[in-house]
Amino acid sequence: MSEKFTKSMARNIFYGGSAFFFLFFIALTFDTTAKLPERDHRENITEQVVLGKKVWEDNNCIGCHTLLGEGAYFAPELGNVYKRFGNSKEAIIGFIKSRPVDGIPGRRSMPQFNLTDEELDGIAEFLKWSSEINTANWPPNIQG
Amino acid sequence: MQYKSQAVAKPYFIAAIALFVGQIVFGAILGLQYVMGDFLFPEIPFNVARMVHTNLLIVWLLFGFMGAAYYMVPEETETELYSPKLALILFWVFLAAGVLTIVGYLAVPYATLAEITGNDLLPTMGREFLEQPTITKIGIVIVALGLLFNISMTALKGRKTAIIMVMILGLWGLAIFFLFSFYNPENLVLDKIFWWWVVHLWVEGVWELIMGSILAFVLIKMTGVDREIIEKWLYVIIAMALISGIIGTGHHYFWIGTPEYWQWWGSIFSAIEPIPFFMMVIFAFNMVNKRKRDHPNKAAMLWAMGTPVVAFLGAGVWGFMHTLAPVNYYTHGTQITAAHGHLAFYGAYVMIVLAIISYAMPLLRGRAAANSKKSQVVEMWSFWLMTVAMIFITLFLTGAGILQVWLQRINENPMGFMEVQDKIAIFYWMREVAGIIFLIGLILYVVSFFVGGDEEEASS
Amino acid sequence: MTQSHTKISQYPPGDFAIWIFIYAELLVFGIFFLSYAFARSQNVELFNESQLNLNRISGAINTLILITSSYFVVRAVAAIRENKSLLCARWLLAAIVLASAFIGIKLFEFISIYSEGISLSTNDFYMFYLSMTFFHFMHVIMGMVILIAVMLKAKQGGYSNEDHTGVETGASYWHMVDLVWIILFPLVYVMR
Repeated sequence: MSEKFTKSMARNIFYGGSAFFFLFFIALTFDTTAKLPERDHRENITEQVVLGKKVWEDNNCIGCHTLLGEGAYFAPELGNVYKRFGNSKEAIIGFIKSRPVDGIPGRRSMPQFNLTDEELDGIAEFLKWSSEINTANWPPNIQG
Repeated sequence: MQYKSQAVAKPYFIAAIALFVGQIVFGAILGLQYVMGDFLFPEIPFNVARMVHTNLLIVWLLFGFMGAAYYMVPEETETELYSPKLALILFWVFLAAGVLTIVGYLAVPYATLAEITGNDLLPTMGREFLEQPTITKIGIVIVALGLLFNISMTALKGRKTAIIMVMILGLWGLAIFFLFSFYNPENLVLDKIFWWWVVHLWVEGVWELIMGSILAFVLIKMTGVDREIIEKWLYVIIAMALISGIIGTGHHYFWIGTPEYWQWWGSIFSAIEPIPFFMMVIFAFNMVNKRKRDHPNKAAMLWAMGTPVVAFLGAGVWGFMHTLAPVNYYTHGTQITAAHGHLAFYGAYVMIVLAIISYAMPLLRGRAAANSKKSQVVEMWSFWLMTVAMIFITLFLTGAGILQVWLQRINENPMGFMEVQDKIAIFYWMREVAGIIFLIGLILYVVSFFVGGDEEEASS
Repeated sequence: MTQSHTKISQYPPGDFAIWIFIYAELLVFGIFFLSYAFARSQNVELFNESQLNLNRISGAINTLILITSSYFVVRAVAAIRENKSLLCARWLLAAIVLASAFIGIKLFEFISIYSEGISLSTNDFYMFYLSMTFFHFMHVIMGMVILIAVMLKAKQGGYSNEDHTGVETGASYWHMVDLVWIILFPLVYVMR
């Protein structure tokens, strides 16, 4: 009678099971990317939005903020900031522009990034586009 | 130390500990910035400090994994390393890349760093945990491939144990999934989907293979239990880890613009993600009960036993707490996530690297089996200080998170983010105190390397 | 953990490692079934309405096919216990042929659903229907791979009445796949 619990069987389950579930994951990912255009409204990704994403990345905004709930938890969620600021690009631009260089005594403050008008418009467009992604109703309310 | 070439692990371990100290110093700075918003502003703004904190964590854990690989491979394959020289060259390359990157973060504004490192040519920067300049990312790939070449060649000419095959597979996975960090589409949703292929498939996928193989190695060495039994367990545990973890990626696909079926898939599969961690606890304690020898390195034993327990708490319990979609709807992107992240990383990865360092370092320094009693006592103190402090950091962040969810998300009149942050400041203060205790524990850990005394005899 | 197993305790049959896997799989399917029940209770009408669109006849045929194949696998285990390797392989082959029939019918069902423009995102019912049946579908393929491996080994005389853990292991997995379908079919296709 061979042993009831063999290493080779455990190994086969590991390799077989992992490959199986990885294939399954790829299948689901495939379906996801096919469904995505209905949810991300990629037709609205303009040059400004692309520039805005680049500005977002080049200034490491994710190091303080969350975007769709992912990022750092030091500063407000920005996925819906366009809506929170009353559907106003100007409000977003005005806020970023008006950050004091030396911060606010005793409080958290966003750095002054000295962005150009073009970059400011890009970041606002990017955040506007982000707010229109279908996120299954997240966040629960306007406060993010 | 049975093989001469194992010695290359030593600089890796030393660098790992040094960078670990840096990580925690910046952690303490971050903690303070949470309650004193203008601390070090505008010299080191929060985003820079956080980047240093998280990137140092990743880099020092990678140093630890690589050191573990170089230490374990010769002993497991029963042959000298293919090229110790390559291992040393890669060490300096990786250290230089790591240090230069950190200096770059601190010395110039991030946008300037992005500009001078050519982020316009191939934009990969500015995404959480993947902030490294593109050139650093390429460096990481080269170092990883060099390591893989070196240990794969060694394994090819030597004994191929299950432990070493799992480790090599884990390292290959680490290198392969990192390649997704070079994919940065203009569409944020796609970007996020494949960003998780690096982040999630690392920490809840292939890293668990590396962790499992290190744990199995240390347990074989310390308990003397039959290799067959330990490797069997290893396979079953990592099988469960990947079976649950791969589709478990879905718990990150709830609210980022992905189809809603992920709420079901992600919830169901991540509900079984605690199982492999629970099995790991049972496994470790079972093996210790069956031990055939009492290894004199008690400190290493403590780390090895602590790893599955804290990993189960941090990754298993704290992960499950907010992984189901209806709960995550409210907790997503709050301090609850931060709490889980801290304990899970500490339990699963920090502790396993410290376990292998604790086991291997005395041997690398020419001791027969273990450090002196005195040194071990100091190290065990550091274990308890760091572990308890981390549990308290987790508890305080959880408290902060629960209040945050309540005030900002569930309340009928939800408050704004900054207003809520003020209300929960007391939790951040307590977290900072716990963080300082963690730092003291870490200093004690470093001190333990310099405590002398009569070293312990090797047991049969 | 199972080191103390001796000849007296023959339960569970097959390699114990596969049982860990089987329990894990049953757990996943179990959670899926509970989730289905929960989601259905939230929107009974939608579920009942969508259910009518399913092809219950092909589902019923597939149920018969799987039950029969399970019986063939039982015969295969019985054969190897009498040391009849070739007979065992032949029963396994019969089971594999039926499994392929299952795959064929199921593919037909998927294609006809797909051509109606239905996908995972259509509604909650189809999300569950497609997820669970496709997940099970992949298990059937996996089970077939295992049965083929066992059959090839049996053909070469790799098992005997003394040592046939491999056959029992494959059989256990196949029965699990069958069992899941026996729950899945009434739950998703019939019950309302």
